[in-house]
Amino acid sequence: MKSLYLTATLGLLALCTAAQATDWDFDIDARLLTSDGDKSFLDGGLGSLRFGENRSGLQLGRARLALTQPLGELTSLHLDASAWGDHEKNPIDLTEAYLEYRPYPLAGYRARIKAGAFYPPISLENRAAGWESPYTLSSSAINTWLAEEMRTIGIEGQLEWLGTRTGHNFDVGLTAAVFGWNDPLGGVVVSHGFSLHDRQTGLFGRVGPPGVEPLLGRQPFHEIDGRAGMYAGIEARYLDRVVLRVLHYDNRANPAAYNEELDDYAWETKFDSAGLRFESAAGLTAIAQWLNGTTYIAPGGFELEWPFDARFALLSKRIGPHALSARYDDFNVDSENTSLKGKQSGHALTAAYVFEHGPHWRLTLEWLHVTSRDWNRTIYLAEPTFAVESKVELAVRYVLHGNH
Amino acid sequence: MKRFAQPASFAAIFLSIYAVAVQGATLTVTVHTPDGKPLAGAVITAQPLDTAVRSAPPEHAAMSQINLAFAPDLLVVPVGSTVEFPNNDNVGHQIYSFSPAKHFQLALYRGKPYPPVHFDQAGLVTLGCNIHDSMLAYILVTEARFFGRTDNAGAWSASEMPRGRYKITVWHPRLRDAVPDLEREVVIGDSDRAELDLQLKKSLHPAPLQDRPHSWDTY
Repeated sequence: MKSLYLTATLGLLALCTAAQATDWDFDIDARLLTSDGDKSFLDGGLGSLRFGENRSGLQLGRARLALTQPLGELTSLHLDASAWGDHEKNPIDLTEAYLEYRPYPLAGYRARIKAGAFYPPISLENRAAGWESPYTLSSSAINTWLAEEMRTIGIEGQLEWLGTRTGHNFDVGLTAAVFGWNDPLGGVVVSHGFSLHDRQTGLFGRVGPPGVEPLLGRQPFHEIDGRAGMYAGIEARYLDRVVLRVLHYDNRANPAAYNEELDDYAWETKFDSAGLRFESAAGLTAIAQWLNGTTYIAPGGFELEWPFDARFALLSKRIGPHALSARYDDFNVDSENTSLKGKQSGHALTAAYVFEHGPHWRLTLEWLHVTSRDWNRTIYLAEPTFAVESKVELAVRYVLHGNH
Repeated sequence: MKRFAQPASFAAIFLSIYAVAVQGATLTVTVHTPDGKPLAGAVITAQPLDTAVRSAPPEHAAMSQINLAFAPDLLVVPVGSTVEFPNNDNVGHQIYSFSPAKHFQLALYRGKPYPPVHFDQAGLVTLGCNIHDSMLAYILVTEARFFGRTDNAGAWSASEMPRGRYKITVWHPRLRDAVPDLEREVVIGDSDRAELDLQLKKSLHPAPLQDRPHSWDTY
């Protein structure tokens, strides 16, 4: 992995001398917060937030550099690198790195192929550059989970019928992908349950500090069983107003496969997800997402299964440069273990105000309140299962774009 | 305030009086939505039916890209016209059309590196950018002798129209009415003016969303 990390970093540098102009984004995001939350997974705790009470004060939200390099007429390379200011294995890591092939649409159809590491088409709130939400600081429970331990590392193809370009009022697209290197997927949701934050795990990164139970510094982006996973989905859009996304995902892992170096099993994780986003001319946005699945391991003949499900509804109103948003999340992990290891249930309320000041500055104020029962708190930390956590966080972000 | 009018104004006044008195008439086409509101920006074409006429002389037009949008996002040009596509953004665009009336592509560019595109076939050309999927624009290439777009009162007028029968068509990207409902025949007779008020049968498609930040369309 070390050599891969080095290759990626060198690749980033090499791009600066490439022939065609490179588009780049740089942003830095500072936080001032007060939290009464438990220690977060970043500090080896089981809190539901990114910053627990021990992290109240000034924090780095994210420092990000993203590059898009055209390679010939129809192919481009995208690299998204971030530093998060915590004890990550690599101080700077890639959240996405992929090649995209975009042939010109033909006779009303458009095909796209992505190869590399990128997010699957599930979230309807993380629509902005860097896979950020323009509505809130913290992602919903569903999308936080994707950020923590899911990435497509493989090939994704998309075929769209462009009705809106041929006199109709809707478009329909089909997506399918074959991927690997995500066999530990499911381990975080069982060890830690769902959380709500904006911390994305780097492709060469860890979730939680190593050696601290229950996360043990999990490394989600590895291949364990040599079997490819797959997903297939559909996206339908009505003009620029409504987007519907449905996806069936199965990493097709062999739950008995074990990797000694990682000290981890291949978690067989499959789920269905659906999401709907509606936007009105009055600046109103409504988003609802739902996800329902199971993760399964079979260590030494035992069969351990954890069904999980989560949903949220978000409502946002934009008036010029101001936006006010509110979101309700609900999430559950069931455990079929007698010890109830991994069992969690909870709900959360988020309220956020965003002020975009010109093209460079953005100010966000967010209040987040999470109520949850997590049996892992009792099993691993001898603490009560029930916790109420909340925080108020102010973010100031500066963005620069350019090309060279 | 100026004491004397410019000679050019005198000439214009004289010419317009001369036109009405001696030559053709003024045609006014008005378009209303089913709820009675005027439809601005609709393309009106008027083609004489009695005589074999050539289309309007070709023009040279420009459709820029500014802030990840086409500006203007609708052009109507006579057959044989040329259009250039200057990119005023600091990001590259890759303009394409797969419409039967004009199939073309401009490989990734900034500024104005390409010669104008020649539109030699009548029809609707739908344009997009292969990098920024939300960008959408139309060029209506027309064979009609007379054409224009309705103003905020939903009206388009043409003066000095030779008398006779005309086929009038209405087009707008948000129309849902069937094509036969958007065509009319009018006769410009002995009167100085002819008027057509076309009321749409179906409500419009919703307008594209305004001022939504383009950075929101990354995923």
